[in-house]
Amino acid sequence: MKGAELVLQVLQQHGVDTIFGYPGGAIMPIYDALYQSDIKHYLCRHEQGGAFSAIGYARASGKVGVCMATSGPGATNLITSLADAMLDSVAVVAITGQVSQAVMGTDAFQEIDVLGLSLAVTKHSFMVRSVDELAATLHEAFAIAQSGRPGPVLVDIPKDVQLADIDYQAEFNAAQPAAPIYTSLANAAKARSLIAAAQKPMAYIGGGVHMAGAMHQLQQFLAANPMPSVTTLKAMGSVAKDNEYYLGMLGMHGTQAANLAVQQCDLLICLGARFDDRVTGNLQKFAPQAKVIHVDIDPAEINKVRFANVALLGDMKQILPAMTVGTNCADWLAQCAQLKQQYGWRYDHPGERIYAPLMLKQLSERMPDNSVVCCDVGQHQMWVAQHMRFSSPRNHLSSGGLGTMGFGLPAAIGAKLARPQDTVITVSGDGSFMMNVQELATIKRFRLPVKIVIVDNQRLGMVKQWQQLFFNERYSETDLSDNPDFVALAAAFAIPGHCITRKDEVESALEAMFTWPGPYLLHVCIDDKDNVWPLVPPGAANEEMITEAKA
Amino acid sequence: MNHVLNITATNTPAVVERLLQVTRYRGYELAGLQLTPRSDAKSLNITLTVSGDKPIHLLTSQLHKLYDIQQLELAGSELAVLSA
Repeated sequence: MKGAELVLQVLQQHGVDTIFGYPGGAIMPIYDALYQSDIKHYLCRHEQGGAFSAIGYARASGKVGVCMATSGPGATNLITSLADAMLDSVAVVAITGQVSQAVMGTDAFQEIDVLGLSLAVTKHSFMVRSVDELAATLHEAFAIAQSGRPGPVLVDIPKDVQLADIDYQAEFNAAQPAAPIYTSLANAAKARSLIAAAQKPMAYIGGGVHMAGAMHQLQQFLAANPMPSVTTLKAMGSVAKDNEYYLGMLGMHGTQAANLAVQQCDLLICLGARFDDRVTGNLQKFAPQAKVIHVDIDPAEINKVRFANVALLGDMKQILPAMTVGTNCADWLAQCAQLKQQYGWRYDHPGERIYAPLMLKQLSERMPDNSVVCCDVGQHQMWVAQHMRFSSPRNHLSSGGLGTMGFGLPAAIGAKLARPQDTVITVSGDGSFMMNVQELATIKRFRLPVKIVIVDNQRLGMVKQWQQLFFNERYSETDLSDNPDFVALAAAFAIPGHCITRKDEVESALEAMFTWPGPYLLHVCIDDKDNVWPLVPPGAANEEMITEAKA
Repeated sequence: MNHVLNITATNTPAVVERLLQVTRYRGYELAGLQLTPRSDAKSLNITLTVSGDKPIHLLTSQLHKLYDIQQLELAGSELAVLSA
């Protein structure tokens, strides 16, 4: 067989039945092999969209997402999405065609040094020099993408390797078993003594918990060691909805209760999180009285930005039970419950215009159980994190580390294909939506019943908010009041839609969107003056939040 | 402060670029680099000298994650001699 056919055989050995991509000259042999393959290929309309769909597929399902692109511009278009997968630790395998080795290094047509470009945006990358190494390289790519802290892996395959003949017998179960995770419980006793001694313990939960498959162990840990908890953007949905001591998201746009409580805690138990600057605010002033227990699978995260008094490395599923000792902090729990009540969200927004936080709360209450919500980046993204509730982090796909506008629509395509039985909703902003708007064609082509909610303030809202607060209201290049007619735009892709501007239209519009069996676009116009509150200003400590009243 | 790292790496085409990219991105300066293929040509012995004010573990923990790095040990640290 040809190398190109081998690629697809190996993908099937790894259980891959869905891939996203875009053909082109240097990857034509693989697309030719796809013509008769059982693998279903979803044609995106831009490689960045295809790779975001692979990320959405991976994040919604827990499987490896696979995307393909040709050499040169096809491969460079993948870079942003690979960077997104890198910073959010998503298992993706990207396969790129490369020009034939005979012309490599001559600035051939559509030739670019993809291996060189990949260094900063992948967990690892390969250039395959011979068809004899192709199968082993692809197996290794899958193993690396999923092992330890997951991440994207790129395999660059020259056209001559795709066209070369090889006598290949697909081995049954050639896929390597997952490497055991090295776990050290040597520090568990130290962690237990810190927890037992703490008067104000706090669990700070990141995406590493659910990615380790430790959701069950987390609920058990929080039940056996009652303590308040907060989550990062990536971990929304990690704590059971009925946990009365869960305070919400912490950080720049976190809840006041979460930030105030974290600032007061005397023990911070960081579980699969990395003290990101959007979480800590001013690092020197973050949780100043707290000792830190840091649990992670990646040793490089320990003591990277915040000293850990105790570190535990490895498999969260084993570590959480080993830290159980019980807590004795009734006063602290009562204090946090009081904060939660005192700083609860208010939805009594005056006027007729739609208030996005309330609209998203209504959406959250109305969406079917286990719906997946895919966000873009900006104000709407923070409102989603603040005002919607999720039962699992796999149901809230948001570009965290890289903060990539244009993520939401293609990620929703991937999520819908991973979980066709579940409702998938994109909540986007009028700025972000336009960044990968071409993927409406993918929705049309495959008749994907994705629900699209555009929160439209005719502004690049988050940038506008910062200009208003920190740049003397000099609104440089953030006016988008010449946006296209989004409902007409959807109609051009055979997607029905509706535009609403008043609060009293929201419920019926959501009803119509969910009742409609296919894709649907709901255009929600809001006041451009609405901002995201609270906000921790740059350089400030997390207790120095600005709220709407203060602003 | 100069730090000397003794590294054994798989001899893959991009391995040196990977080392240098991580060194630069994590905020250390290159102060010396020697590499010699081992007798089987499949591995390289690399001596990487870097300078930087940050604790060296911030670099070594990131270099350890590179798939082509087989072994990495910190040989020593010395204060850089300032020349006028």
